Amino acid sequence: MAVLSEGAKTEIRRLVAQFPHRQSALLGALFVAQGEAGYLRPDVVAEVAEALDLPPSEVTSVASFYHLFHFEPVGREVIQVCTNISCLLRGCHRVLRGFSEYLQIDVGQTTTDGAYTLRTAECLAACDEAPVIMVGTERYGPVTADGVDDVLARHARKQGRR
Amino acid sequence: MPEPFLLKYVKEPDQAEYEAYVARGGYEGLRNALAMPPDQVTDAVDRSGLRGRGGAGFPTGRKWKFLPKDPAVTKYLVVNADEGEPGTFKDRTLIEGDPHRLIEGIVIGSYAIAARHAFIYLRREFHTARVILERAIAQAYAHGVLGEHVLGSGYALDVVVATGAGAYIAGEETALLESLEGRRAMPRLKPPFYPAVKGLYMEPTALNNVETLCHVAWILARGAEWYKAQGSPILISVSGHVRAPGVYEVPLGTTIRSVITLAGGVTEGRTFKACFPGGSSSAILSAAYLDTPMDYDLVKLDVYGSMLGSAALIVMDDSTCMVEIVARTVEFYRDESCGKCTPCREGTVWLGQVYDRILHGRGEAADIELLRGIARGMTGTCFCPLGESVPPAITSSLRFFAHEYEHHITTGACDVGVHPAG
Amino acid sequence: MSSEPPTITLSIDGRTVNVPKGTTIYNAARRLEIEIPIFCYHDRMPPLGACRMCLVQVERAPKLQTSCTLEAAEGMVVRTATPEVIAGQEAILEYLLINHPLDCPICDKGGECPLQDQTYRWGPGRSRYTEVKRDFAKPVSLGPVLMLDRERCILCWRCVRFGEIVAGDDALKGFERGFESSINTPFTLPVASKFIGNTIAICPVGALTSRSYRFLSRPWDNRSAASVCTLCGVGCAVWLDARGEHLTRLRPREERAVNDVWLCDLGYFGHGYVHHEDRLRQPLIRRDGRLQPATWDAALDLVASRLRSAGPRVGLLAGARLTNEDAYVAGRFFRTAVGTPHLDHRADARSGSISLDVAWGMRTPIAAIDRSDVILLAGCDVTEEYPVLWLRIKQAVDQGAAVVALTPKALEVDRHLAHHLVHRYGEGAAVVRALIDALDGRARDGDRGGVAHGRLMLAAKTLGAARRPLVLVGTLALDAPDGRDLYRMLGTLCERWQVEPSVMRGRGNAFGAALAGLLPDRGPGGRPLPEVTDALASTWGAPLAPGAGRTSPEMIDAAARGELEVLYVVGADPATDVPDARAWQAARSRVPFVVVQGAFLTATAAAADVVLPTLVLPERDGTVSNIEGRVQRLRPIVAGPGDARGDAVIFSALAGRLGKTIAYSSWEEIHDEMRTMIPDLAIDAVLPLAAPRPSDNAPAGDLSSAAPGDGSLLLIPGSALFDQGSMSARSEAIAGLAGAPWALLHPEDAGRLGVGEGDTLVLTSTHGSIALRAVVRPALLPGQVFVPRGFDAAPVNALVDATGPASRVRVELLAAVAGAAGGTGSGA
Repeated sequence: MAVLSEGAKTEIRRLVAQFPHRQSALLGALFVAQGEAGYLRPDVVAEVAEALDLPPSEVTSVASFYHLFHFEPVGREVIQVCTNISCLLRGCHRVLRGFSEYLQIDVGQTTTDGAYTLRTAECLAACDEAPVIMVGTERYGPVTADGVDDVLARHARKQGRR
Repeated sequence: MPEPFLLKYVKEPDQAEYEAYVARGGYEGLRNALAMPPDQVTDAVDRSGLRGRGGAGFPTGRKWKFLPKDPAVTKYLVVNADEGEPGTFKDRTLIEGDPHRLIEGIVIGSYAIAARHAFIYLRREFHTARVILERAIAQAYAHGVLGEHVLGSGYALDVVVATGAGAYIAGEETALLESLEGRRAMPRLKPPFYPAVKGLYMEPTALNNVETLCHVAWILARGAEWYKAQGSPILISVSGHVRAPGVYEVPLGTTIRSVITLAGGVTEGRTFKACFPGGSSSAILSAAYLDTPMDYDLVKLDVYGSMLGSAALIVMDDSTCMVEIVARTVEFYRDESCGKCTPCREGTVWLGQVYDRILHGRGEAADIELLRGIARGMTGTCFCPLGESVPPAITSSLRFFAHEYEHHITTGACDVGVHPAG
Repeated sequence: MSSEPPTITLSIDGRTVNVPKGTTIYNAARRLEIEIPIFCYHDRMPPLGACRMCLVQVERAPKLQTSCTLEAAEGMVVRTATPEVIAGQEAILEYLLINHPLDCPICDKGGECPLQDQTYRWGPGRSRYTEVKRDFAKPVSLGPVLMLDRERCILCWRCVRFGEIVAGDDALKGFERGFESSINTPFTLPVASKFIGNTIAICPVGALTSRSYRFLSRPWDNRSAASVCTLCGVGCAVWLDARGEHLTRLRPREERAVNDVWLCDLGYFGHGYVHHEDRLRQPLIRRDGRLQPATWDAALDLVASRLRSAGPRVGLLAGARLTNEDAYVAGRFFRTAVGTPHLDHRADARSGSISLDVAWGMRTPIAAIDRSDVILLAGCDVTEEYPVLWLRIKQAVDQGAAVVALTPKALEVDRHLAHHLVHRYGEGAAVVRALIDALDGRARDGDRGGVAHGRLMLAAKTLGAARRPLVLVGTLALDAPDGRDLYRMLGTLCERWQVEPSVMRGRGNAFGAALAGLLPDRGPGGRPLPEVTDALASTWGAPLAPGAGRTSPEMIDAAARGELEVLYVVGADPATDVPDARAWQAARSRVPFVVVQGAFLTATAAAADVVLPTLVLPERDGTVSNIEGRVQRLRPIVAGPGDARGDAVIFSALAGRLGKTIAYSSWEEIHDEMRTMIPDLAIDAVLPLAAPRPSDNAPAGDLSSAAPGDGSLLLIPGSALFDQGSMSARSEAIAGLAGAPWALLHPEDAGRLGVGEGDTLVLTSTHGSIALRAVVRPALLPGQVFVPRGFDAAPVNALVDATGPASRVRVELLAAVAGAAGGTGSGA
């Protein structure tokens, strides 16, 4: 029984065609699969493995190396708060506490409505806008502790416009 | 100060558009390059004295010369756009603000080494940059800058953007190649796997930083002599306790003090305490070193681990607890360690545990010597530069700020501020 | 003609050594017997440089260097024990130990643990670590044989690289990164490998341990005997370890010509049967319809009396469990003392099959695999039948060899094959014919046997470019409905290449049985009987029984027709081995007397008239022969149970009762006598047997290509490494790996039948029915079902109708799976 949509499989095939060796498409293929399934369940991993003619053990091993792949369900949006040096110097922990209080979850947890997962991140290469966060694929900064609701609202509006 | 050119157009809202780029003189460098044999392009880059801007500072022309000349040998150009060194954001700035410059540099470099395919390994987190870059690449194809006949010549080139998935180690050149091949980003043994010899798919590969290739575009546009006369500018990412954090284009050799001034000076009402001149992998320098020039000679400074690195100047004022900063730095390397080699994998854990005790009031007298000992064990024994990047912050902070460590250990409290900062 | 590789000279600790260019400093030091501590390097894999333990100082190099990765250069000056090196070694060991648990007293690796040994010799003596060590739930079970202890793992990556490089099965992998790294299977599922025992052996700590060896012994409590594994036929060299009188484990012994330093999991874990409580300990005689214990005298007297009156109406069905010497004595006993010409070790061969016309075994040494550039696996399911040979084939693949497989079921190692021609069972000959046509430039369009034309052409191209081809023909080809044609076609291909096909047929010491002459038309050395009759009669001091001998299937048919008085079964289980169970049942019900000489009460023994208990091969001294004809020494490690005896001893005792003297004082004496008939016989001699030309006038199997359209499936009997036979079912580890008996179907057929993975099916043929667990994979073409032999509780021979070329079965769902279907084995 197929787990990935035809569209996902077509996209994976397109990625494979870009490289002289199939395995190079693995990270991209995993993002396609994760984007559709929400997280990398064993059956999702198996389909990616089959699409790339790789052992499932290799696919799982590779995916688990990288922080942006999830093997457990995550919220519809993952909030990443940078806690590296420049953001630390500009008060990222106040921001982290702000999100934690606003969303009523600890770092690493997901809101009960499944909307947000809160995580920390390493340097996002936007240190001139410290403290920096990402919500999904969008980057925001500087963020303040009392501006967390504002940035989430801004993000929701942006998503709504898509 | 010479007129900046790397950042000159980065803030123009239409600089990412092909027409606007060309109108401002873009792709002239490529035209010039295509009009000469490939090894003359390499010579020009060599003559310019350009050194890689990824952190290693290896002369770019010389790096390209390591690749075999035989056109029958498959070669690749790979762009390291995995900017991850803490405090560094110049590459992302260039990709978002001047993507066609990067493309131009890629085509010139690929032409110089006779590569048929170029791959850009871009941090996954750089979503906006990817959208902008892919759009610019599409425009480049549409206008014949990429494809079967680059600008109508006989040279063909295809460029593919591949992303990472959240691993700092993938910025290390051989780990990057592993990741680009779809595997865990574990660095490769050198020898034999020098990228110029056995790189991507085991073929000779030129692996260049984003900024470096932007320099290349300018060098071929205006000539090596013109470039040398500009004083070999460098982009410095300035962040932390400064009033105007940002990317600043300065000639190599500008002092730390001058760069901080350009960035608006230290936070209002605060004084300079310390800085990382080259990202978190460089040794911490105290105020005594404010007049040190920011150039490749930083590596000769009398502070172990001092280097220009990625030219990321992180400024810390007197509200900073140095112990906390180094602890955070150690944690970063611990979490980003690939796990392949013993000293990095285990040493960072142990260091993290000791720092944790010290920061939470459970430090012991023997801890300072212990930190030195653990750091010493990791010095010169690691498989790749990541592990080697850990001791500099420790040894330099112990040298300049030993009293902060001692205060934490003897009193269990911090006399600078609260943890975590802010 | 090739010149010696250039050598270089370097100095290590003040001593000079000359080594071939390309040698690493570590290996150069080994030549000088200078020990450098090391973990991640294993000399059968390229160096990694991860553990950092092998640091040395190299003059003019600013940093310490890892000696296992650095190639020695001319004039290099290396020091292995400077203060800096010592500091580095102590640092690395201190790092490794900070999170390593103090498990030594309860860790199976203790006493043979490189971490222990190196810490003792090169460690700091005292750790400065005072933080809280991490802890994980342990041990973690990764299936029936492997246990994982995450706390002990030092992340040397050896096990991962073994799976990637040597075995090619990617069984264990690294997950996460940094200090979160852990070695595991994906989602901690039972490990899927046939070679995982090797990772236990090469793990330098007690992170990977064997469930069947857990807490059994310390290495210094074990006695060891250098012997050979006799389970599959490759004949891997092993160490048998025993504590007291108990066989505790098998370890591979280095034999570069056969198994190198490896062993498969059947070898590692398949020894539980030796000490199983079911071992026969005393003779049994059937009285009042039941088998009852008896004395040896009573049993031997009875057997001798029946043999005496039967004369030439006796058939010997020998198997693969005799030593070479015992097989030779069996030959002598039956041909001269009993006086029958009916001897055969091939009870599992189909009547009319080409298997009965060709000598079994490889025609080239195993080491020839390394030199081949194209390897054709025709019907040879190599990882299920001769697993360690796959490790050599994988090596050849890594060096550029192309493997082409022609089988009705996809091979497990599919990923490493250059071409895989999965064809309909019974149509392999047509595929080979098409390949030959393509090579001759006569290619015609169209698929053949279910193989697409394009695939055929690509495979032909590869075969056409072969310069050093190797052809391995297995039972899926030999005993296929079109086996004769297929073998003939392969012979044509081989003639073009001027090579001989290797007949990959025979388990255990079947090759020794053939060498000793347990064949109806051959004598010792595989020579035609007429050639050696006089010499044998002279050596044996008695005339040989005259007349043509019957093959195993012929003996069984003869017994069913009442033409035999006695069927004597040694080291075989015809009830489950013969292709068609009904043929055996007919024989058993008609033949007046059946003797079984063996170690367990098999299905055959349970229906016998006399059962004589024997020793098993780990209890025997002597020699055995492997699939390439290599004669290897067996050494016993434990004595047998109860009153079990060696086979030759039993034959001698019977001979005495028949008035003939067959007396040898030792296996060496038997071996020496064999040498008079086989002059080249010697330990480690390689004696492949001459292959007779297949006779032309045997019935050809002609499978009608059209399916009857009644929804029945064509039955493909095959092999599984992990099965549940008389020995494997009694080795807990193997039984666990095998799981419940299974059948493999294509998803299309499964869908049509409403069958899902793990469901219980009933397969019914004209001859019988058995219940099996469903395995659903697209590993064969639709319309067929693959059932492995070797599951005695549900033997495939209950379904097979050997009177026809092939059997068809009806498949019905009996019960859908409601949770675990039992066992972890899934075969395909």
